[in-house]
Amino acid sequence: MKFAVPKGTFAKSAAPGSAPSVTRQSSGLDQFHSLLKGAEDLHVLDLSGASQANITFITNAGHSFSSDDIVATMLQHFEDDFAENQQSDSKAAAFLEQTLTFPANSFDGVLAWDALQFLAPPLLEQTVERLLRLTRPGGSILAFFNANEKVKEIPLYTYRIQDSKTLIQVPRGTPQKVQNFNNRSIEKLFESAASVKFFLTRDNLREVIVRR
Amino acid sequence: MSSPSRTFEPEPLTPSRSGGSAALGKNVTVKGQIFAREDLTIDGEVEGTVECHEHRLTIGPNARVQAGLKAREIIIQGSIQGNVDATDKIDIKKEAKLVGDIKTSRIVIEDGAYFKGSIDISKPQARAQAQQATPAAAPAAAAATTQAGTPSR
Repeated sequence: MKFAVPKGTFAKSAAPGSAPSVTRQSSGLDQFHSLLKGAEDLHVLDLSGASQANITFITNAGHSFSSDDIVATMLQHFEDDFAENQQSDSKAAAFLEQTLTFPANSFDGVLAWDALQFLAPPLLEQTVERLLRLTRPGGSILAFFNANEKVKEIPLYTYRIQDSKTLIQVPRGTPQKVQNFNNRSIEKLFESAASVKFFLTRDNLREVIVRR
Repeated sequence: MSSPSRTFEPEPLTPSRSGGSAALGKNVTVKGQIFAREDLTIDGEVEGTVECHEHRLTIGPNARVQAGLKAREIIIQGSIQGNVDATDKIDIKKEAKLVGDIKTSRIVIEDGAYFKGSIDISKPQARAQAQQATPAAAPAAAAATTQAGTPSR
């Protein structure tokens, strides 16, 4: 009996001695929430894997919730070295086959968090194209990108919504190399979208709301 | 003086009010449909469908299930590929892996659990109204069938 359920490391609470959880304010999340607040029965996709906090936050707001753990899929196919292993055509193809497999125009909102920053061209563009395809016209994508070019590696996190403005970043794996993004590169990445809005943060993240 | 005789009669058997429970062990493989009228624990391999209306279904840590599941309450510790429908509650433990859609009134999910799919939280009142609306179509359909099948004289 064959299963499509991936193996690998899934979101776990921080082990003793590992990086602690981080609580941070998020203007991007606040904006994303305000877009949801004015409507009813929207369909939201969370790419951080299912968590009680996020399910409760979205469903209590009267919306439907879907989940996919894109970082778990990366761990399954790229293992300990995302940057190196995604250069393999077969591994990249296997990752894409399992990623964002929902039908087109399925979601009004997508919480992509910081997953995209661990992908490199051409896999990055292919994943973004798929992400835009499954977002309905007028729908929104919340994404985070590394904004400090001196930072070469970033820990993997799971994102838990504490409230409409507050996130808890829970460490989930060994640090991985990240791409460095500036505003222009992000705009180019989402050039087929209707709009891209940036939010400045005090730490090294660039928060982005993309409207399809 | 003789001691009084004592007789002991066994108490009459009464049906269990709490209901029993059944289990499929980790070395059991089932392909097909499972219907249970009591609580059921599955720790083996199942392919098909599992229905435990008004009862609890537990998918054990060794279970590998490729099936649609329906029960009053569903506890998931193993691997499932299929849709899950619990009228009351779904409890997904940290070691669980679920690929499929969920329909329930309440959901509890532990950190570490893997889930890919959608969640439909429908309150019990909404479910009851939906179920009441469905049978209304059946008598009309039955009447149409009767009219079509009635021989002319």
